Amino acid sequence: MATIREKGYTHWDGTLRERRFPWWPITRTGILLTFRKKQFKFFFTFAFVPALAFLAGIYISERLEDFKFWFKGTEKFITINPAYFKTYFTGDFLLFMMVMILVFAGAGLISDDLKHNALQLYFARPLGKKDYLLGKASVVFFFILLLTLVPGVLFIVFKLIFSGSFRFLAEYPWLILSVIGYSALLTLFFACYTLLLSALSKNRRYVTILIFAVYLFSDILFGILFGIFRSPYVALFSLKGNLQQAGAMMFGQKPPFDYPAYLSFLVLAAICAVAAAVLWRRLRSVEEVR
Amino acid sequence: MSLEVNDIHFSYGPIAALAGVSLTLEGGAVGLLGPNGAGKSTLLRILLGFLTPSKGEGRVLGYDIRTERALIRRSIGYMPEDDCFIVGMDAVSFTSYFGELSGMPREEAMKRAHEVLFYVGLGESRYRLLDTYSAGMKQRLKLAQALVHDPKLLFLDEPTSNLDPHGRQEILELIRDISSAKDIQVLVSSHILADIETLCADVVILNKGRVAAQGSLASLRAIDFSLFEVRVKGDEDLFRSEAEARGCRVDRTEDGILKIYMPADKDRMEIFRAAAAAGAQVRHFVKSRTSLEDLFARTVGVD
Repeated sequence: MATIREKGYTHWDGTLRERRFPWWPITRTGILLTFRKKQFKFFFTFAFVPALAFLAGIYISERLEDFKFWFKGTEKFITINPAYFKTYFTGDFLLFMMVMILVFAGAGLISDDLKHNALQLYFARPLGKKDYLLGKASVVFFFILLLTLVPGVLFIVFKLIFSGSFRFLAEYPWLILSVIGYSALLTLFFACYTLLLSALSKNRRYVTILIFAVYLFSDILFGILFGIFRSPYVALFSLKGNLQQAGAMMFGQKPPFDYPAYLSFLVLAAICAVAAAVLWRRLRSVEEVR
Repeated sequence: MSLEVNDIHFSYGPIAALAGVSLTLEGGAVGLLGPNGAGKSTLLRILLGFLTPSKGEGRVLGYDIRTERALIRRSIGYMPEDDCFIVGMDAVSFTSYFGELSGMPREEAMKRAHEVLFYVGLGESRYRLLDTYSAGMKQRLKLAQALVHDPKLLFLDEPTSNLDPHGRQEILELIRDISSAKDIQVLVSSHILADIETLCADVVILNKGRVAAQGSLASLRAIDFSLFEVRVKGDEDLFRSEAEARGCRVDRTEDGILKIYMPADKDRMEIFRAAAAAGAQVRHFVKSRTSLEDLFARTVGVD
C-alpha cells in the first residue's frame, strides 16, 4: 500500500452548484458501465437487426419494381402503413431483445447499490429519492428508446426521403404520435419492471433470472390457462400479451386478443404503480433503518 | 458554530432513539461515543437530513436540519461505516462521480479526485477496479469520496473498523491531519475509544438517546471524578458496600483491581475509612489517570 499523503491536501477553490438535472451523472455513469460489460455490445447490436430489416423493407417498398423478382405475390407485407410499424414495435423478437438489454443494463441498477451499500453515499449528497430513481430509470429509458423511438422516427424520415414526398405523413398524420406514445409506454413499463425487480434482491444474478423468468413465465402461464379456459382474457396474465394488445390499439390495428385493450393498459399501469410503491418503500427503509 | 441541535427527539415506532438531545459543537475534531443503541447513528442520520426529528430543531453549518437538507449535504462529507462501492468502477471514476453528485463540474471533479486519492494514499492504485481493493483501501476510498468536494464538516462513522493496526494508524494519522491542519471540522463516531482519545479534544457521550456527557476530555476528566486503583485484603464485598455508601462507584477488573470512581468533592481518605469500616487492609492504592474508557464506563454505567 502506498505511503499516506504522497501529496498534501489542498482546498478546492471552486463553487459547488445546484444542478438542473441532478440525476444526469447517475444516468451517464449507468450507461457507460453497461457498455463496459462483456457481451453487451454484441446483444445490443443484435437488437438492431429488426430495425435494419424494417428499414430495408421501407427502402424496398419504394423500389418494388427493382425487387419484384424477390417479392412476387408478397408485396402486401411490405406496404408501409401503421400495421407495418405495429409489427416492428410489438414483434416477439424485439420485445425479447429488450428483455435481454434489460438484463445487462438494468439488473444491477439498484441491486448492486443495495449489495455494496452505495445508497447511503448517494443520499449523503444533495440528491433525493426521485433524483436517484430518475437517474437509474433513465439508463433503461436510454436503451429502450434507442430500440423504439429512434428506429420509429427514422422509419418515418426514411419513408419520406425514399418516397420523395410528404404523402405518407398526410395519410397517417397521427402515426408519429403513435410511435412516440408506444415508445414511451414500452420505456416506462420496462423501466418500472426492471427497477422493481432490481430492488427486490441484493444479488444481481437473482434479478437477472427474475427479469427473464417473470417475462417468459407470464407468457407460458397465459398459454397454459388459455389451453384450459379458452378465454382471451387470460392474456392479461402475459406481459408480452399486454404489451402487444396495447401496441395494436395505439397503432389503430386489430388487437391480437379479443378483449378491451384498456384492460391491458390497466394491467401495465398497475405493475408500474406497484413498482413505484415498492421502490419508494425499499429506498426509504434503506435510508432509515440500517 | 458548526453544529447545534436543541431538544431533538426521534422514535422508530414505539422505540425512542433520541429523547431530547441538545448539542453544540465548535471546530476541531469531536468524538461521538455511546454503547449500541445509544442513538449515535440516528443522530448522524438526522444531521445528514436522512431522518426528520419528531421534535426539536437544529442547524448544521448554519443550515436548518429540517428545511435545508440539500444545502447541508452539499457542505458536509460523510464516510459511512459499511464498505461502500460501485461495481465496475475504478477509484478515480468513483471519487469524481460522487464529487459531481455533490455539485462539482465534471472536469473539476475528475481533477480533484486525483488529488484526494493521492492524499489518502491511493494514488498508485487509482485506476484499479474497486472490486479488487483490500479492506484498508476501501476505507481510504470512503475517506476520499467524503473529501472530494472539500467539505467544511466531515462525519466519520467508525473510520477504523475492519482495519489492521498499521492501516488503523494510517487512517488515524490522516484524520488527525485533516482535523488539525486542514480547517475541516470532524465528527467521529466510534466504538474504539482509543481512537477517539487519539483524535479528539472534545467528546459527546450518548446513552439511551440522551447526552450523558459533553465537553473537552480534559475538563470531563478533571471536574467530574477522580479514579483510584485499589487492592484490598479482607472482605472485598463489604469494602465495596462501604465505598459505595460514601458515594463512590466501584468496578472490579479481571485482574482483581478495584477501580474506584470518586466524586470530585470527596476526600480520598474516604477510601481508607471505608476499608477501616469493612475491616480490610489496603494493599495497593494508586491514583489513576482517567482514560476515555473510564470516563465512558462511568458515564454510561458499563465496562
